[in-house]
Amino acid sequence: MDSEEAETLFSLVKEKYGDKITEEELDEVKKAVERIVETSMELRKVELGNWDEPFSVFKPYRRDDV
Amino acid sequence: MNPVYTPLRKLSESIKNREVSPVELAETFLERLEEHGPTLNAVVTLTKERAIKQAKRAEEEIKKGKVKGPLHGIPWGGKDLLATAGIPTTWGATPFKDRVFDYDATVVRKLEDAGAVLLAKLAMIELAGGMGYRQPNASFTGPCATPWSQGHWSGGSSSGSGAAVGAGLVPFAIGSETWGSILSPANNCGVSGLRPTYGRVSRHGAMALSWTLDKLGPLCQTADCCGIVLEAVAGHDPKDRTTSKRPYRYALKRDGLRVAVPKGVTDGVAEPVSRNFDEAMRAVERFAEVEEIEFPEFPYEAVTRTILNAEAASAFDEFTERGLARGLTAPECRYGPYSRTAVLAKDYLKALRLRERMARIAEDVMEQYDAVAAPSRGTTVPEIDKEFRNVTPGTTRDIMGALGNGAGLPAISVPSGFDGEGLPTGIQFMGRAYGENGVLSVAVEYQSRTKWHMMHPDRFTP
Repeated sequence: MDSEEAETLFSLVKEKYGDKITEEELDEVKKAVERIVETSMELRKVELGNWDEPFSVFKPYRRDDV
Repeated sequence: MNPVYTPLRKLSESIKNREVSPVELAETFLERLEEHGPTLNAVVTLTKERAIKQAKRAEEEIKKGKVKGPLHGIPWGGKDLLATAGIPTTWGATPFKDRVFDYDATVVRKLEDAGAVLLAKLAMIELAGGMGYRQPNASFTGPCATPWSQGHWSGGSSSGSGAAVGAGLVPFAIGSETWGSILSPANNCGVSGLRPTYGRVSRHGAMALSWTLDKLGPLCQTADCCGIVLEAVAGHDPKDRTTSKRPYRYALKRDGLRVAVPKGVTDGVAEPVSRNFDEAMRAVERFAEVEEIEFPEFPYEAVTRTILNAEAASAFDEFTERGLARGLTAPECRYGPYSRTAVLAKDYLKALRLRERMARIAEDVMEQYDAVAAPSRGTTVPEIDKEFRNVTPGTTRDIMGALGNGAGLPAISVPSGFDGEGLPTGIQFMGRAYGENGVLSVAVEYQSRTKWHMMHPDRFTP
């Protein structure tokens, strides 16, 4: 896990939502942010090609397009 | 006839043969919901007025010979994240406990069109577990018990849907699954629960937790009942662009069934669960060709978890910004949403890009099989008053759940026996995309050779 990244992201969360969370809860939030970074690291290890698109296709909308 | 615990096919025959009327059925099950619902914490709202109206209408239609199908006059209950016009839809959460929509979810409307009778809105984990609950007491209606033990958990997040079917309070229920929320209560309550392919059933009018992971599906007495209900609720819906235009007809395959078992699928699984799974597979081997398979190494859980975290953060953005999480029941849910705002856009997109690779892996490995079998859960049913581990996504390796939900694959959980404490265990059969009939064929054949689905808790058996 990249602890620097986790620390930075946690600081952002704390900055934005600190007033809504108690000190005790902040410890839990920090652990959760660390888990998120850990999970992201797993994803980042897999190499993809430039042409590998997200598996969701945007379709322009028209009301009469059934 | 006694309608309690009677499978849908037989119940429907009894209605057609005038052995029992829709109004009698509605009254019988409403009484049971009133008597036993509070004991289990399984019910949020009884929809009595609507039920009697629907039952009377069904009775009139059937008297005139206008039988709509196998669900005509049959009572049901819906997870309380399905919008119902004029009736509260609480999402299991205190901040929404008085909220009333003015329309019906598509699945509610489809069941009404099929002549089914809505009796109750059923309990659920607050916001379908989307805030990261770690204990059964995570709903404003209290922790929901499995009908098999007042001291053990029903599973979730479709808690009331599992418990009400398991206690014979409704003939069938609709639940939802983002990751485990149908299979877990089916397992813990000893009932059959079907998670359909993503897009098979319209999500219009259902609470969104994760747009690309959420599925609605039935919990019933048997796998056969699940097939009957799925046929009634499946289909394209212009109000949900993700619904498939592939038609669905419930049809069983009798011969040539093929079942795969992932290598090491019982590694680390609790002994009673593992033992019952092995015994269940011996029954499966008598009617299906069984082979071992291996899923290649891949970050299945990281992909699905990242998608879930990012989409849940967005779906509940306003809720989070307004600090409404403070009103939730489980302490961990009150701060759960904040960490998820730390998922980076590039990581969410990476997960979506990897999802296609994951879906292709699933198809490559599973194409030749009607179902892949595994224990429904790795643990025995947890106690109701303790924080649990290893039952929610992210706390244990759950490749079947991550792959199945991430790739949008159908799966059914059916009872496989009991542990030493008399609590149910389950086996799941997961299929390739749109392969519901394959998993149902295996599950129906399995249930024709086993008795577990016919066993019910003594205290609820009339």
